[in-house]
Amino acid sequence: MAENLRCKALLYTLALGVLAMPLHALAERPVLTLEIRDHLFHPSELVVPANTKVKLIVYNRDATAEEFESYELNREKVIMGGQKAVIFIGPLAPGEYPFFGEFNPKTAQGKVIAQ
Amino acid sequence: MLTSVIIVLREVLEAALLLSILLAMCRVLELRRQWFYGALAAGVLGSIGYGLMLGPISEAADGVGQEILNAALQLALYFFLLVIALLLIMNTHGNRRYLGLLQSMMLLAIACATLREGSEIFIYLMAFAPQQALLSSVLSGALIGAGIGFSIGALIYYVLVELPCQYTLGVVLTLLTLVGGGLCLQAAQQLVQADWLPSAMPLWDTSTLLDENSLFGQLLYALIGYEATPTPAEVIAYLLGVGMMVLLIAFALRRSDMEGQNYEFHPD
Repeated sequence: MAENLRCKALLYTLALGVLAMPLHALAERPVLTLEIRDHLFHPSELVVPANTKVKLIVYNRDATAEEFESYELNREKVIMGGQKAVIFIGPLAPGEYPFFGEFNPKTAQGKVIAQ
Repeated sequence: MLTSVIIVLREVLEAALLLSILLAMCRVLELRRQWFYGALAAGVLGSIGYGLMLGPISEAADGVGQEILNAALQLALYFFLLVIALLLIMNTHGNRRYLGLLQSMMLLAIACATLREGSEIFIYLMAFAPQQALLSSVLSGALIGAGIGFSIGALIYYVLVELPCQYTLGVVLTLLTLVGGGLCLQAAQQLVQADWLPSAMPLWDTSTLLDENSLFGQLLYALIGYEATPTPAEVIAYLLGVGMMVLLIAFALRRSDMEGQNYEFHPD
């Protein structure tokens, strides 16, 4: 009997957790913007709050496509010329996370600094 | 030029790995291979279409259309590989069943794999099309990258074809399962990036042991979905993908073994 109750309690907790997930996803994220101009990132250093998921909007002001790429952030996204891209990053432990433009890796470099 | 070698190599390697496994299976099962080239052509055409449509695709779904479509492609490819694995088992012991279904699953898998990797190469090359000065160096780099990638694919193909028969099925099933797990992990990564799956801190960091950026890291990424800093969602997706495939394969193998025994008892 007691075991049965414990099972039920566990199930309800799980169900609540599942229900709470979409609400959590709806919560507003801090928004940060980044620009690509002449195959360079502006700003090249982006400070973000640590331990928080943030919404990064990258504007590609060049006419050609670029790929935002970062092994440290586990992110990869093509941004067509003249378009913007939405990329969610984090939560990040305090530290530095380099990123680069895969199509122009020699010039397009930057880093996210989580603090 | 080195950049284009690496970019194209990375994409070609992922596709070539899968293509060589499937092509080797076509050869072992004596399936018609003209279809293979048709599927490849469909994949290439699809890549160009995807590349040209990427603008509107990216803007769909509040700016995460690209991630959603990529994740859908990866999960579809996982499903095709799973069905292919099960059909391969059903065709052991000299049986030839559901060959039409097997053939169409292979076609879909080949087209899907080519589309996924081909579109990125197409977009990359398009970015340099207006820059005449750079274009020739980018193109020669791309050719070298594609050459290395397809050579590795050809090597895998010949190893698989030349394997002693009794090992072929086991090796192919293992490869398909590992690639399948990697696909699930990549799909989860895309959905985390789109904020459709909850994200958390990475569970571990093996980047000092093996850099994802290195050639070996890239090879492992293509083969088993190696990820130096995986988040919980990615690890769970990987385990679910591999687990489901292992369970279904084990089930199919047992049934096929039982039938094999029956076949020996009643050789009519």
